[in-house]
Amino acid sequence: MHAVSVSHIAKSFGATHAILDVSFDVGRGEIFGLLGPNGAGKTTTIRTILDIFKPDRGQVSVMGGPMTEQKKDRIGYMPEERGLYQDIPLDRCLLYLASLKGVPDAEARRRLEGYLERFDLAAHRRKKVKELSKGMQQKAQIINTILHRPELIIIDEPFAALDPVNTQLVKDLIRELRDQGVTILMSTHQMHQVEELCDRILLINDGRDVLYGSLDEIRRRYSGRAILARAAGDLPDVPGAVRLLPGAEPPARAGNGTVKLALSDGITPQAVLWSLLSQGAAVEEFQIAVPTLDEIFIQVVIA
Amino acid sequence: MISKLWRIARHEYERNVFKRSFVLALLSVPLMIAVIVGVGFFMASREVNNTPLGYVDHAGLLANPIPAPLAGSANRVDLIPFDGEAAARTALEAGDIQAYYVVAAHYFSTRRVDLYYLKAPGNNATRQFYDFMQINLLAGRSSLGADVARQAALLGDKVTVRSLDGSRHVPSGGPTFGIIMPLLIGFTFVFLLLMNSGYLMQAVVDEKENRTIEVLVTSASPTQLIGGKVLGVVAISFTQLAVWTITSILAVAVAHHLGIDWLQDLSLDWGTVLAAAGLAIPAYVMACALMAAAGAMIVSAHESQAAGMPFAVLHLAPLYLAWAIVMTPNALLPTILSFLPFTTLLTVTLRNIFTAVPAWQVAAAIAVQAACAVGAIWLAGRAFRLGMLRYGRRLRLRELLREGPP
Repeated sequence: MHAVSVSHIAKSFGATHAILDVSFDVGRGEIFGLLGPNGAGKTTTIRTILDIFKPDRGQVSVMGGPMTEQKKDRIGYMPEERGLYQDIPLDRCLLYLASLKGVPDAEARRRLEGYLERFDLAAHRRKKVKELSKGMQQKAQIINTILHRPELIIIDEPFAALDPVNTQLVKDLIRELRDQGVTILMSTHQMHQVEELCDRILLINDGRDVLYGSLDEIRRRYSGRAILARAAGDLPDVPGAVRLLPGAEPPARAGNGTVKLALSDGITPQAVLWSLLSQGAAVEEFQIAVPTLDEIFIQVVIA
Repeated sequence: MISKLWRIARHEYERNVFKRSFVLALLSVPLMIAVIVGVGFFMASREVNNTPLGYVDHAGLLANPIPAPLAGSANRVDLIPFDGEAAARTALEAGDIQAYYVVAAHYFSTRRVDLYYLKAPGNNATRQFYDFMQINLLAGRSSLGADVARQAALLGDKVTVRSLDGSRHVPSGGPTFGIIMPLLIGFTFVFLLLMNSGYLMQAVVDEKENRTIEVLVTSASPTQLIGGKVLGVVAISFTQLAVWTITSILAVAVAHHLGIDWLQDLSLDWGTVLAAAGLAIPAYVMACALMAAAGAMIVSAHESQAAGMPFAVLHLAPLYLAWAIVMTPNALLPTILSFLPFTTLLTVTLRNIFTAVPAWQVAAAIAVQAACAVGAIWLAGRAFRLGMLRYGRRLRLRELLREGPP
């Protein structure tokens, strides 16, 4: 049973088609990345999963069936539009929101204590939310998302407004939650975070799913037939492996003396490596050239 | 379900009640009542003087006088006849009397009566002398004769005017506290709903403005959110009502003890009180629901005051038309206003002072108001679902009524 299963959903607002056809599954205990350019339909997809919007077409299943009021207590949601009560103290705000998720007061207080310490907010607990910095409010929002120990967490841009230290803190937390079996659906524009954290991704563009699968599989799909190689001294020529020049398409990575070689049909990376070694080259680096997620994103979206 | 409703209600209650501004507003009403009662008593006590009053009757009108009616026995003044003005003046200067009247010899043609005093006499004294004159004029000139006048004098203001069908009765002194009570209930509820339904609109707008709403709708259903807020506001109102009622009861008891005429008859007309309550409750629910709907439709807290204004004007409309309602309480306009959702409460309670509003009209008004309350709750739920995630964009009335589910 998937944590989330979305099947061919569509949603329009008047004449605006927010989602045309999106399908994907999120497995239990995985970190799933929901990607896409601005206005692609990510937030509408998330709101449809959470039953804030009803889809015009298609089906959504959350934890084995339609969304119910009981299931809401098992989900943690951090929306893109951050929101906490501004004119009440931080701890009161978080305890109230936790109470709406069904956490008993004493238990909520105990958990909150630990999270405030961990996120370095303990000294600010009595301050009104509006008196906190943007980064502090972001951390408070994250605490609110996990305070009730949800099974499924849906977070929109979790790293926005965080400095590198806090970004690392949140990354560690996400991994820790995943290790505890929590499913995480994360929407972000920060591709390096996706590469670092996500097991699988879905790329939405113009309301349609255009790329879906595990990161390794997608990278391999878009890797083309190229290798990156670097040797002490000059890299000898290899028959069937064309050296790509800087500025070429796809571009060669010329940094650190690394050379990108495009392979002709019938030439395998293993054959190239054998040829280099047999020519006496002191190979320091040799790898299949896989594109970054940034490159895949741009390639798919522009296409 | 109930637990979340309760938690939301408690949150709304605590958020508003534990504010300094709320406590000040809550205490301002009892303070105002205390000031009014205090000033009223002070002014009244300054105007009372129980020292005897003299009179000199040159016209022979009061030769064999009938005593003045027994009004306000606590403030009764002895009326002392003098044979001449010199004796009366001596008594005045000696402080035996506070003032004296001289009824002119040609009173029946000129109606002249002169008043002499060193310091202005008390209102109770002058009022009693006028009653005294009136009752003796009645005895002397009425075809009914002295016996009837004597009987009227004994009754004083204990005369009760009853309607022919027996449904209404008003003491000759004017409407009592008990008769005015339903109108006070109406005013209190309108005041409360204008004050507190604003909290509701503010709460909804705030959650939209600070973006908390998106987190909330993934924690509770729209029904729980709106229902909890309405419950919270109702609890706020009960707090205010409890404080004000206790203060009012104390004030009335004190005023009753001090002998303020208007508050001597405290008996209530329970029929009109129940009619007022029957109208007030659905009117209150309707106002809260409409304010919540308005909050969901508008964009920012800045707009909330302007959005609340039309509701205030509509609720207070019977006051602008009070003269027409009072003068002709059973005419077409007051009757129509009795059935309109915003004006029904004040119109019916105001009419009830001056006429017996037919029972069918009261029942129909309550039914209309209850139906409007149900409709307003439906509309609020719809506005909330459609408008809750419209950041920076107002939900139009046309969209509210026509658009499909979000």
